[in-house]
Amino acid sequence: MKIKKFKDKSKQKSEDNKGRINIALAGNANIGKSVIFNQLTGLSQTIGNWPGKTVEKMEGYLNFLGYRFNIVDLPGIYSLSTYSLEEIISREYIVSEEVDVIINVIDATNLERNLFFTFQLLELKIPMILAINQMDILRKRNLDLDFKKLEEIFKLPVIPVIAVHGTGVHQLLEEAIELVVYHKPSLHYVQGGKRMHEQLTHCYTKPNQDSKPKNEFQFPDLSSLLSYGKEVETRIKELVKNIDKYSNYFSKFHYPSRFLAIKILENDEELEKLFRINQETIYILELADKYRNELEQLHGEDISTIISSEIYTDIHKIIEQVLIVKSHGELKTNWAEKIDHLTTHSIWGYAILILILIGIYLFTFLIGGFLGGIIEDSFDRLSTSIYNIYPEDNLGVKILWEGAVGGIFGAISGVLVYVIPFFLIIEILQDSGYLPRAAYLMDRFMHSIGVHGKTIIPMILGFGCNVPACTGCRIMETEREKKISIALTSLIPCAAVMTVVLGLVGRYAGVVWVLILFAINFIVIIITGKILNRILPGECTELIMEMHEYRVPNYSVILTQTWVRTKEFIYKAMPIIIISGAFLELLFMFRLLDPVNLLISPITVFWLGLPAVTGIFLIYGILRKELTLVLLALLANSMGTNLSGLLTPFQMIIFSLVTMLYIPCFATIVIIAKETNWKFALKISLLEIGMALLIGGVINWGYIFFTSI
Amino acid sequence: MSENLVQKRKKVTSLITQLIDCPTGEKVKIIRVQAGHHAKRRLANLGIIPGVDIIKKQAAPFRGPVEIIVKGSLLVIGRGLASRIIVMLDNSK
Repeated sequence: MKIKKFKDKSKQKSEDNKGRINIALAGNANIGKSVIFNQLTGLSQTIGNWPGKTVEKMEGYLNFLGYRFNIVDLPGIYSLSTYSLEEIISREYIVSEEVDVIINVIDATNLERNLFFTFQLLELKIPMILAINQMDILRKRNLDLDFKKLEEIFKLPVIPVIAVHGTGVHQLLEEAIELVVYHKPSLHYVQGGKRMHEQLTHCYTKPNQDSKPKNEFQFPDLSSLLSYGKEVETRIKELVKNIDKYSNYFSKFHYPSRFLAIKILENDEELEKLFRINQETIYILELADKYRNELEQLHGEDISTIISSEIYTDIHKIIEQVLIVKSHGELKTNWAEKIDHLTTHSIWGYAILILILIGIYLFTFLIGGFLGGIIEDSFDRLSTSIYNIYPEDNLGVKILWEGAVGGIFGAISGVLVYVIPFFLIIEILQDSGYLPRAAYLMDRFMHSIGVHGKTIIPMILGFGCNVPACTGCRIMETEREKKISIALTSLIPCAAVMTVVLGLVGRYAGVVWVLILFAINFIVIIITGKILNRILPGECTELIMEMHEYRVPNYSVILTQTWVRTKEFIYKAMPIIIISGAFLELLFMFRLLDPVNLLISPITVFWLGLPAVTGIFLIYGILRKELTLVLLALLANSMGTNLSGLLTPFQMIIFSLVTMLYIPCFATIVIIAKETNWKFALKISLLEIGMALLIGGVINWGYIFFTSI
Repeated sequence: MSENLVQKRKKVTSLITQLIDCPTGEKVKIIRVQAGHHAKRRLANLGIIPGVDIIKKQAAPFRGPVEIIVKGSLLVIGRGLASRIIVMLDNSK
């Protein structure tokens, strides 16, 4: 299956590939890779999913010097092993025929960690450009790098970049043309001495030359650089020899045999599969097992430790050669460190976390509510003028207007206006570097409900809107943690739920009850976490996370990202929300749901002690939770009373509690189904309905019981 | 002489501790990582390898995770995992 797919692609490629260069941006997380991507592709960016996977694929393109550059921004990773789905996807993509050249973005201020990944990329033997970013920050620290030396070592172009200023960014593309079209790395420092643009003038004068398959590019011989010590190397060579015997078979997978050898030596589950499918190659795995045992005996260490420490030793030597220390300036504590100290403080840290939660809520709620109000008003005004023209009993007009147009308006005013400010604020939080701090503070607590600290990130986002927050659960490393995170996130009271709780309970029953309701909500979250932790197979993994320094968010990245994400949301989620909204609207219009009131009255009236009419409001609330309150208010209005005439304070508490918990809103269910599957979305919905009814009923009957004695 | 040796060994063993127990702000050397295969590979890739010097920056309150500086970058490691990283304190002090 897989093999066939590769073949088809390569055939297609040779036909329509004139002047097209495909670039993969690879590097660690949080090193300005997205800034470079943004500089290059701007608004042409799209977010999709990797085929069949829930990892985001960021793509964009630009035309430059007569070529079309398709750029894929790979997820920020630290290694090409199998720690996360992102790592597996990245390496599969890089070796696929789709990539012509890799731009490896490297953080100049953290060379050791970043070069480790570079070493792994080099093993894939794909034309590569090293882009050393954040040179400005390095130079501020009175340090510099010897680029001539770097190119001598790597035998590949090494370009200094200051992404935030755009310095060196387009030079990366010129180098890409050099590698892909002219099949040679232009090592100006090594050959000509001076790095100048004029050496690349042929890029300008001969555009649109047919780009040729990258295999004509002679990848430089780096065997002395990529050497893991004599003991390891002899065994790798032996494995390579055996793998090459089946080169016909392995060439389909595009991995260099040396890479395969290293990985099976490291016990890489994914690549071992390739050896297992073919009966004849299984013996190579046995050989690798034998070698691994020998090496581990010899060194007294795990194989991954042996190889990693060899690489880090090499890197250390390289850094000693290329790092230029100008003078030892005194290191001042800068603002970033002060904020770091404050936000991870054992008291202030939590206070700031709570403030940020309130901030997210206020921000999405105020902006969303304001915009939503304007849109609803204009819809109402349009409705009046429509019904002035057409009689109100004209069914065709009514269906078209309230069903179709109303569905679109409803989706915009009820969902989209909350989603946009929300995207904006998460991008700011993400880009500034706050979110890992929250994960750090909450790790201990999150462990008690079966996940590690990172889950707090989508949960924080859930306070604004559950819909994109559930998408945010993609950051979790394992499927199990993703599922638990999604379930917990869907239980976070979002801005809409907050409206209902404050509008009913806060107004008529007092703030204390609001706090009690929240406490109940969080207890439910904890219980859900504990239950899922028990029933889902597997174990909670430990947190291993990099915490990068705080930085001033890059506004252009934030705005582009917000725009691109909104666009994706409009294309992918809005149609479903609009159609289902219109459908419910129609059911409502023809009073088809009225019998439902009767049907569920045993639950609403008997079990929960609510008026029968609330049944339909609760059903309507699945679409948009704040509708439960809006409809209640409308009903009260039509009866010439206010909310307190309709429900007793106690009923309000029950009603709000049920609204809070009973089901994720429809848009959230859709997203959960997309991120996992419909079965899981259904299970979560049923679980939440069950819990809401259980708790609501118990409180109601407890109240009846205690007041009767 | 032999007493001296015993004392010396005692001194050394008292310098060896789990990462969660060592004082914050001090430079320590990693001696052993006793994690499972997966976690070990991940930690090794991030530079947490025997023989490497790290600084424990701080530990989160309520027995939370540990923040360390390794190879110039900040890493947060869950407490369970941090207890399986054995380090040696700098004995020059």
